[in-house]
Amino acid sequence: SSREILAAPSVRKFARESGVFLGNVIPTGPNGKILREDVERFLAGADHAQ
Amino acid sequence: MVVGELTEEVDVLVIGAGPGGYVAAIRAAQLGKSVTVVDKADLGGVCLNRGCIPSKALISAAHHYEAAKTSPYPGVETTATLDFSKVQAWKQTVVEKMTGGVKTLLKGNKINVIQGEVFFSKPDEARVMTETEGHSYRFNHCIIATGSRPIELRSIPFSKRVISSDEALSFDQVPESLIVIGGGYIGIELGQTFAKFGAKVTILEGTDSILPLFEPQLSRLVLRNLKKYDVDVVTKAMAKSVEEDETGVTLTYALGEETHTVRASYVLVTVGRRPNTEELGLDTIGIKLTDKGLIEVDEKCRTSVQNIYAIGDIVPGAALAHKASYEGKVAAEVIAGHESVVDYRCIPAVVFSDPEIATVGLSEADAKAENKEVSVGRFPYAANGRAVALNADEGFVKLIADKKSGLLLGAQVIGAEASNLIAELALAIELGATLEDVALTIHAHPTLGEMVMESAEVALGSPIHVVVR
Repeated sequence: SSREILAAPSVRKFARESGVFLGNVIPTGPNGKILREDVERFLAGADHAQ
Repeated sequence: MVVGELTEEVDVLVIGAGPGGYVAAIRAAQLGKSVTVVDKADLGGVCLNRGCIPSKALISAAHHYEAAKTSPYPGVETTATLDFSKVQAWKQTVVEKMTGGVKTLLKGNKINVIQGEVFFSKPDEARVMTETEGHSYRFNHCIIATGSRPIELRSIPFSKRVISSDEALSFDQVPESLIVIGGGYIGIELGQTFAKFGAKVTILEGTDSILPLFEPQLSRLVLRNLKKYDVDVVTKAMAKSVEEDETGVTLTYALGEETHTVRASYVLVTVGRRPNTEELGLDTIGIKLTDKGLIEVDEKCRTSVQNIYAIGDIVPGAALAHKASYEGKVAAEVIAGHESVVDYRCIPAVVFSDPEIATVGLSEADAKAENKEVSVGRFPYAANGRAVALNADEGFVKLIADKKSGLLLGAQVIGAEASNLIAELALAIELGATLEDVALTIHAHPTLGEMVMESAEVALGSPIHVVVR
């Protein structure tokens, strides 16, 4: 889908520093926002997959 | 090259100490880099010395003088006198305080500062010419932040009486009359300021409206105010030639098929600014430029030469101090190995006209051009208690949001303190706030900021202080 990727500046920075592309993260915040914990969950899942 | 001359080694070389350069230097130093800054003139660059700061100082003084002349408060009788040389002296102390601050910050961060001009000799080497000598510096990383300068019109070249914003900010007395060519934000800010100080001002703008980059709803109020100060605004006017004599200038301009002349003490040319990219030797090291003569950069502010970065007015995007500073931090962080990129949803833009204009994000027209369905909320200063008590009931706050999601897409403010009100709206856009988020945030009463909350309520269809028709 072509939904807009929504995340606060600090979450965008955290994702960038963690090497996570926000388009791959499932948002759980209000209005479809990606939260820091969504990025953390993605990271944990990615680690698990390895 | 002088025989036996040593090439000094530096880690990060920053060229230019404007809002981009000095911020880049400080952030790089914070991150443990050893930094050398070279600037050919004064620390603080255009913004502190010949731009933002001195212009705002003069604007404030002119505003106060004007308000005192015709006290806006019934029952408060005032008289105003003007000693312009004292105003200028004060403006200079403001500039010196701020540039002194930059000097202290650079010193405090142990940054090596050199006054001189830079010319690249190799992709990792630059020659710095100071007043007395030349030195070669080999660098690991370089950030170019050389800024911009006023554009000169070929048919109306700069002279004693054809001046740029640089000279207008340093007038030692208020000119009797002033012709401003270019009705953009610099022309309007300076034209309005000198009109308030008592100059007879004529503004010539080539397009069909002053402040052509802003929506007509915004420029209309400024235009009305300019007329109050007896400013002649001529739109669709093309300046053709100028004749200068001992006492003034006669400017010829075309208005459609007709030719007109206007006479004044000075002509101020504010048609734009051009990037300072010519004298650096960029071509000798193969730095790529865009077709507009700006330096091509990626999202990390890197040029086509791997270890050289460029920021500010010499790269694409809005020529604004805060954009330059933001890029300066990105470039410094990338050099220090951080995963930083240029990543913003919006940049606020402010015109310190009277009334002030501030915009951020998409305008209603922009949103519609992107085929977005929008909700719009507009709230007038006249319905805000604080604005009325300030005797500043002209203007409005306008929010533009996505109709379906309520996400804030843009905002426009015209009126008192618009420049400060826009900050909340920029934050709202960056955070992905909706109209409801803004409307449900309690704003202090009575403040101008309440208009932000109420314009969100207007867009949601349930405002308290205006009636929904």
